[in-house]
Amino acid sequence: MATERYAVETRGITRVFESRKGFLFREKTRTEALKGVDLAVESGSIFGLLGPNGAGKTTLTKILSTLLIPTGGRAEVLGHDVVAEAEWLRPRIGLVLGGERGLYNRINAKDNLRYFADLYGVPVAERERRIDEVLARVDLSWAAERRVEEYSRGMKQKLHIARGILHRPQILFLDEPTIGLDPKSARETRKLIRSLVGDGVSIFLTTHYMFEAEELCRDIAVLTKGRVVAHDSVPGLRHLVGGDRTLEAESHGFDDREVESLRHLPGVSKVVSEEYGPWLRLTLRVRTSETTPDDVRGALPGHPDLMVRERQTSLEDVYLDLVEEEAA
Amino acid sequence: MALPTTHVSRARSTSASFRLSILQFLADPQWLIPSMIAPIIFGLVSFELFRSAGPYYLTYAILGAGMMSMWGQTLYGSGWATGQDRTWGTLEPTIQSPTPYLYVVLGRVLWNVVSGLIGGGIVYLVVVAVAGGPPSLPNPVGFVLLFLFVMVSLAAVGVVFAAFYVYTRYAGFIQNIGEFAFYVGTGCMFPVVLLPFWAGPIALIFPPTWALDALRYNSIPGYTGFSWGYSWDLVGAVATTAAYAAVAGSIFHRVERHVLEEGSLDEY
Repeated sequence: MATERYAVETRGITRVFESRKGFLFREKTRTEALKGVDLAVESGSIFGLLGPNGAGKTTLTKILSTLLIPTGGRAEVLGHDVVAEAEWLRPRIGLVLGGERGLYNRINAKDNLRYFADLYGVPVAERERRIDEVLARVDLSWAAERRVEEYSRGMKQKLHIARGILHRPQILFLDEPTIGLDPKSARETRKLIRSLVGDGVSIFLTTHYMFEAEELCRDIAVLTKGRVVAHDSVPGLRHLVGGDRTLEAESHGFDDREVESLRHLPGVSKVVSEEYGPWLRLTLRVRTSETTPDDVRGALPGHPDLMVRERQTSLEDVYLDLVEEEAA
Repeated sequence: MALPTTHVSRARSTSASFRLSILQFLADPQWLIPSMIAPIIFGLVSFELFRSAGPYYLTYAILGAGMMSMWGQTLYGSGWATGQDRTWGTLEPTIQSPTPYLYVVLGRVLWNVVSGLIGGGIVYLVVVAVAGGPPSLPNPVGFVLLFLFVMVSLAAVGVVFAAFYVYTRYAGFIQNIGEFAFYVGTGCMFPVVLLPFWAGPIALIFPPTWALDALRYNSIPGYTGFSWGYSWDLVGAVATTAAYAAVAGSIFHRVERHVLEEGSLDEY
């Protein structure tokens, strides 16, 4: 199925979680986390997976990194089946789940990395050099001998990343890598991620930060309720939701007739109204350059407080449109 | 960029896990209680319990307290460490590594054996100090060898117990319920023959029962344990230990597969 062109390829991946709770575990719950996910991620690129909480991002990441067996479908990473060939894949995969857990807190960063270097079979002769290298790369050399329990959330996140790249993986799965990082550290982490791609590593990134995905990713998929609802480049996604340009009109109120008149302006694919405080904002997705802010002003006479502005449709706009459409 | 290493030495993984256990032991002062302080208390209590048990009371006292100390370190510690991996969230990255988890557990069990031996040594020194001299052992070499074998038999059970900790987050709960029943049932403090008749067959499932009876036969002249005697105790100990080792070797692969199917690795 997969060729070397793809770092990740999935066909109809499903995952159902069943759990029991209550008295004597009699109450059975069934959650369908993934409902047939088809994806193809090109090698040597940064791929972004976006989705609201509970969409199934972490579940998919765990399946692809051999930590979870899918209920149905087939997934290949680096051209190898994640279930049948997990043993082959594990030394070639890096996984960063992040968070406060996942590290041995009572010992220092170097000892944490030594342990995992041994489990990953990093050559003994290279181990110490490699540990120093990854600690320097995540800017933690200065805290290498400190116990992890003394680390801040951001430092722990960096140590997770250091562990993920310690064994020089061919593909790195990053589950919300900049969560909890201060802006400077987050920027450095994004720089690090870009440099890894320069080293030939394929990156599979899940994030809630749209600007991060927009800045880093060549291709992006949006996952909601266990389904991929869109998968394209950022410009492709903009086109998908109805336009590169967004016009916003704000005033103290618009009537239905006015809103309807905006829908009929040339190139307008979508009009969404949103209240905030005493204001009402109309957001227009515009496919062409035919409709200008002046056209909008012309369609909304009798609003002395009217403000109209134009901007490029952001990934956040795209994301919200897709997620809201799916929810509707 | 160099390709990642694809072969991971099992011995290296076990040694890494052993080293990590030592580091964690040294980093956490709470371990002093079970490994250093508890053996002193067990030695003193056991000495008082057995002081009227005849001429070989010192051996009884050392074996009773020594086993009590080692039981916790070697058997319980092995499973507990895996439970800690769950709590700390380190089970997922460890399972995701190319090393089969069995070899990580083996490293921990190895450390727990060493730690158990330290506890046993402390018990010996305490009892000898209180009694004013060492016990008389008819066969000191046999005593040492059998003592080590008891550790191995406890370790074999410990590895199987560790698999339960991977299997379910409730393993600790189950082990807590069975802890003292197992301790008494395998004859750690008192010979199994002193227990009700129905307890015997259950106790024989566990390797330490056989190994401990053999150790008592070897060390206490006139000891009356299982009717089949010393030699069959040894056979039973070796056979049950081998059986547990075989179960441990095969169970981990299945348990790992099960938790990957269930998706329960991150539950704690």
